[in-house]
Amino acid sequence: MIIKGRVWKFGDDIDTDQIYPGKYLPLTNKHEMARHAMEGADKGDEFIKEVRPHDIIVAGKNFGCGSSREHAAIAIKGSGVSVVVAQSFARIFRRNAVNIGLPILELNNVDTMKKGDILTVNVTTGEIKNITQNQVYEAAPVSPLEMEIMNAGGLLKYLKQMNNE
Amino acid sequence: MTIIEKIFSRHAGKHVQPGDYIWTDLNLVTMRDFGGPNVVMEYRENFGEHPVFDKNRVAITFDLHIPARTEQVALNQKILREFVSHQGVRLFDVNTGVGQHIILESGLVKPWDIIVGTDSHMNLLGAVGAAGFGMGTTDIAGALYRGKLWFRVPETVRVVINGTLKKWVTAKDVILSVLKHLKTDGALNKAVEFAGTTIRDMTLAERITMTSMVTEMSGDIGFIEPNADVSTFIKSRAGQDVEAIAADPDARYEKEYEFLIDALTPQIACPHSPDNVQSVEDVAGTKVDQVFIGSCTNGRFDDLVIAGQILKGKKIAQGMRLIIVPATTEVVQQALKAGLYDIFLSSGAVLTNPGCALCTTGHAGILAPGEVMVSTSNRNFIGKLGKGAHVYLASPATAAATALTGKITDPRKL
Repeated sequence: MIIKGRVWKFGDDIDTDQIYPGKYLPLTNKHEMARHAMEGADKGDEFIKEVRPHDIIVAGKNFGCGSSREHAAIAIKGSGVSVVVAQSFARIFRRNAVNIGLPILELNNVDTMKKGDILTVNVTTGEIKNITQNQVYEAAPVSPLEMEIMNAGGLLKYLKQMNNE
Repeated sequence: MTIIEKIFSRHAGKHVQPGDYIWTDLNLVTMRDFGGPNVVMEYRENFGEHPVFDKNRVAITFDLHIPARTEQVALNQKILREFVSHQGVRLFDVNTGVGQHIILESGLVKPWDIIVGTDSHMNLLGAVGAAGFGMGTTDIAGALYRGKLWFRVPETVRVVINGTLKKWVTAKDVILSVLKHLKTDGALNKAVEFAGTTIRDMTLAERITMTSMVTEMSGDIGFIEPNADVSTFIKSRAGQDVEAIAADPDARYEKEYEFLIDALTPQIACPHSPDNVQSVEDVAGTKVDQVFIGSCTNGRFDDLVIAGQILKGKKIAQGMRLIIVPATTEVVQQALKAGLYDIFLSSGAVLTNPGCALCTTGHAGILAPGEVMVSTSNRNFIGKLGKGAHVYLASPATAAATALTGKITDPRKL
């Protein structure tokens, strides 16, 4: 799967309170949740106003650390973001992303990427092209087991198939 | 093999190594009043009225917004109660306390178990040699349906702690000093094993304090090999023999850290990160508006005893609010019998019903902009307890001493 979109840049240790502030935890409607994606992060207001379908989040290390709230991954996916590229992900966020089919990639060198850069991202191979800066990066795709879950359309569809077999 | 490699190997039915992705069975699936309603809705949307994989291996715990304080929360709890009556699963209602502590007290946790739940501090179950994992709602919905989930086998880092703790220096100070060195990503996607002479002699409450804060190092799980006292506790609660668990002598660790804590002083995590740790002496004198003693990290009876020793016969500072919340009803009863409620109430403390309490803005006692709180909880992320508030994390001893003076206070200097 190849995705094309523009970059929103965030720093290291973006925790789940920045991605999805705790005060919205009682919300259960996915569309309402999506309206608060990244609200607690630096420049979160701008993100909420201007995020468009296919946009790409690029962040530093330990993205999604903090609580186990799946709201974080759901809100990002609902906001239209097509893939999250980070130096590393917190375990629970990574699981949640795989389980709901939000593509993620790990890339060591995110420093040169700038807000607004246009990327094409091959989620399967990990190849990322920065069209704006004319650069190519090799990101780490998810494991085969995770890819199977994402390809099935998420964990619950995968488990249903498993039960039918 | 390390402890997590042994547990995953047994459950997966094959020899596993760090980095492997595996499917395993689960001993217990839990959810709470926060996250749980989303799990139920997702479960129904995907699986309808399909019975859960095993109703005896599912527990619902109410610990965050208890009793319900908003209509939305009341509705969320109703969704869970309906699920309980349809599915016949176990419910620990608003009168019980922090979920992980409740399942420990109820004998639902044993060494070697794999337990999942919608709480990021499930991993404190490693205090008794069980593998507890916090998960999102989709994971838990899938776990309810199949009793199975996927895992990446983590590498293990070993944290060896030797030495004797001085008076008023506690397990909380130890784990904060570990956090100071390992930082919030120091155990990212890793299992942690705590060992050494200090750890070996720790009580269950102290072990819970240590393992609960592995979350703040981004670790998957923190283990402590159970000693005789811990095994006796688990055995008495589970009503069955407990199988010992320990790492093999030739287990391979990705990294080893060693701490000698003979000279350790009380530690405190300053705003707004759990690894922004300093000696209490170095920030002593900072004005404080509120103190919270409780949480899954420091809400056990032993923690309240320490606070009681400091508060006994004394009054908290003018203008100070002290909020004390035992982790569970069992702890409340122990504290009542020990006379701690008298001490706390006479000192000027507010005691609220057992639960997670001031871990999020969901609980009574949140802060106004600019206010400062010293908390025995495990997180001080910005905004977590009120916009513009400042939270410090410390031991029950430091927290109690601070409540008395109204300023951050080293309990040794009282």
